[in-house]
Amino acid sequence: MTGTFGLLRFLLRRERLGLPWWLLGATLLVLIQSTQSQSLYGTPQALARLRDTIGANTAVIAMSGPTELLSALGGEIVFEIFAYVAIVVALMNMFLVGRHTRADEESGRAELIRSARVGRHAPLVAALALAGLADVAVGALVFAVSAGTGLPLAGSVLFGAAVTGLGWVFATLTAVAVQVFENTRAAYGAVALVLGAAYVFRAIGDVGDGAVSWASPIGWGQRTLPYADDRWWPLLLPLLTAALLGAAAVGLLAHRDFGAGLVPPRPGRATASRWLRDPYALAWRLQRGTLIGWTAGLVLLGVAYGSLGDSMEQYVRENPQIADFLPGGADDVVNSYLAVTAGMAALLASAFGVASLLRVRGEESSGRAERVLAMPVSRLTWLAAQLSVPVLGSAVMLIAFGLGEGVAYGMTVSDAGQVPRLIGVTLTYLPAVWLVIAVAALAIGWVPQPAAIVAWVVIAYCVVVTMFAESFDLPDWAQWPSPFTHIPRVPLADFAVSPLLVTVLVAAVGVAAGYAGLRRRDVGT
Amino acid sequence: MTTPTDAAISITALRKTFGATTALDGLDLRVAPGEVHGFLGPNGSGKTTTIRVLLGLLRPDAGEVRMLGGDPWRDAVALHRRLTYVPGDVTLWPGITGGEVIDLLGRMHGGIDRRRRDELLEQFDLDPRKKARTYSKGNRQKVALVAALASDAELLLLDEPTAGLDPLMEAVFQRCIHDLKQQGRTVLLSSHILAEVEALCDRVSIIRLGRTVESGTLGELRHLTRTSIAVETAEPPQGIDALPGVHDLFVEDHHARFDVDTAELDAVVRRLAPLGVRSMTSTPPTLEELFLRHYGDEQSNGRKVVGS
Repeated sequence: MTGTFGLLRFLLRRERLGLPWWLLGATLLVLIQSTQSQSLYGTPQALARLRDTIGANTAVIAMSGPTELLSALGGEIVFEIFAYVAIVVALMNMFLVGRHTRADEESGRAELIRSARVGRHAPLVAALALAGLADVAVGALVFAVSAGTGLPLAGSVLFGAAVTGLGWVFATLTAVAVQVFENTRAAYGAVALVLGAAYVFRAIGDVGDGAVSWASPIGWGQRTLPYADDRWWPLLLPLLTAALLGAAAVGLLAHRDFGAGLVPPRPGRATASRWLRDPYALAWRLQRGTLIGWTAGLVLLGVAYGSLGDSMEQYVRENPQIADFLPGGADDVVNSYLAVTAGMAALLASAFGVASLLRVRGEESSGRAERVLAMPVSRLTWLAAQLSVPVLGSAVMLIAFGLGEGVAYGMTVSDAGQVPRLIGVTLTYLPAVWLVIAVAALAIGWVPQPAAIVAWVVIAYCVVVTMFAESFDLPDWAQWPSPFTHIPRVPLADFAVSPLLVTVLVAAVGVAAGYAGLRRRDVGT
Repeated sequence: MTTPTDAAISITALRKTFGATTALDGLDLRVAPGEVHGFLGPNGSGKTTTIRVLLGLLRPDAGEVRMLGGDPWRDAVALHRRLTYVPGDVTLWPGITGGEVIDLLGRMHGGIDRRRRDELLEQFDLDPRKKARTYSKGNRQKVALVAALASDAELLLLDEPTAGLDPLMEAVFQRCIHDLKQQGRTVLLSSHILAEVEALCDRVSIIRLGRTVESGTLGELRHLTRTSIAVETAEPPQGIDALPGVHDLFVEDHHARFDVDTAELDAVVRRLAPLGVRSMTSTPPTLEELFLRHYGDEQSNGRKVVGS
């Protein structure tokens, strides 16, 4: 344990730029939900109406939490936001612990640290302490925001404590995973799997009699029932689990060699398969897992949104305030809703596209781009190969979302025709996605160093314009630069082909200009 | 010897800056077809930058660069069909096995000789089924070496290719380069390992701070350095200190030890002969000495270097 404290200070320094964003994200989720719910359901009548609508809607319960929470306004906020906060906090803990344990071991940084006067357990304990402190900070912020927006004190403390407890579970779970697997990717995969299972278990339990929810760390947090019933004893579950997992991680660490895992890596292929023969195949091979994950996620999201489609009309009739958030108002609720969800899918596909294309920069800075470009491969081919994944992958993602939404919505309204219709609807937004990707390509060509920042700022801007233009009353000029502004908002608006063609054309020009930049600059800077 | 047009690599007054840093400051390099050319220089002297210019990854600021009769920047793809490259710090795609990388690179190069590939894997003792993230530095290096040596490229650009290899593998590598030389292929070998350069290279260029300070055959370069002499004579060795090119003379009775500029060696031996030489050992200058003279700022300030 020697050196733990010094290491912890070092870790805090390494995280000083990244960690605040995670804390901010979790805090904003609660802040937005709290203000929004208080304005929508501030009266007992509004809350009672909501209880009647949602209490009978399986899809909403499966996506959110147990209906017992709906007996108080604060509980309604926890009901809506807890699962999302849980995902953010769980991922934060996964990255915090993974980055400073297994990832450091893989890169060899940990070797340098361990060769100094630092105990065997110090890096693990320091990483856990870092995550534990971050969780306390998140809990404190959740409390501050909840209490600060006028919610009862006791419930707010419980809400914050539940979030902290959940964070500790995932921090210690990650600590175990990084002992078991010898590479960070596999460890993250295992933790993400547990997180997914936690979400699914609580969904099954909340829809049923609640028993299965007790198998889920997210369920433990929600079932403290902050504001609704203020139960303190379920907090013991995460505390106990975290203690056990933490002890297990420390114990396992003593039983493995530095750099090794408990599960030995499987040997892979000795020769490449027939199709792995050019930069295109390489790009798709490298992003295969990411593509499958995103596509599966968008199918599920489509199913979730689609299953709510039919009940939207009733929901808005009973809670007319909601209509302000829909671009079509109360007149055409279902189509407004479908347009909004398709827009969200398109934003997610844009985020995928940008993340995928920005791998170009990672390839460059790591020197792997050099490996390919030293072959008889032109920069045009190389860029085209890297572009093929986001360009085609984003289309696949939109189809996946449309398919999921179409199947789920089609089943609730007994109309198989919704499947092709909603795939068509979602694909209408594809040109805007491509234009966002083209902007990233342009940045990579001409301003490679800040390209990632440029691209993510563009995404953030599009999110604000697409999701909040109505709520914030953004002026037209502020909305104009977003490609999503120019896409007809089907199925609410009529389909028109010319804006789509223009958008595709602008995207093509952007990519061509990006290539012109890439062609004349140094590679690998 | 070789005119710029028929040289495999011909670089004249190459300049490349990165912002305020000058990486290459008028570098010259000539590599004749079929020769193994040693490319020496301390860390940060511009070896890697030069190779990356030759690969068309970096655009030169000034100077002329020709390789295999083409322009490395403009004709990159056509030239890359005829060359292969091994970097000093090999990074691979973590989720792909070494065998897959070798095949992929081979196919991108236009096909791979399966038998040669397997032979090399065995010689370098490399397990191709391991994911790249689990390879050590030396093993990643071997992946790149096998991929490069299995190709039939006429020019090999090797940037400190043996930095992570153990002595056994170093020997395998030297054998492979020796075979390539027999086949008449051209190799530009950047290296720190002077024994390797002495064993393999026909000619050597030494660069420092982005500029070429020496270039020539090992013999020619040795000529510019000093030979250490230890001699025992019948008559006390007198008058040696008066000879040009003699340094660090130490005389005791009939023994003398000194260094002599190799160019003046003949005159010194003629002066010693009449004294009745009983025994004499002469240590030829090593590349290392040459290297240290050019790099060690302090040393080279003290002793004037001939040439350059």
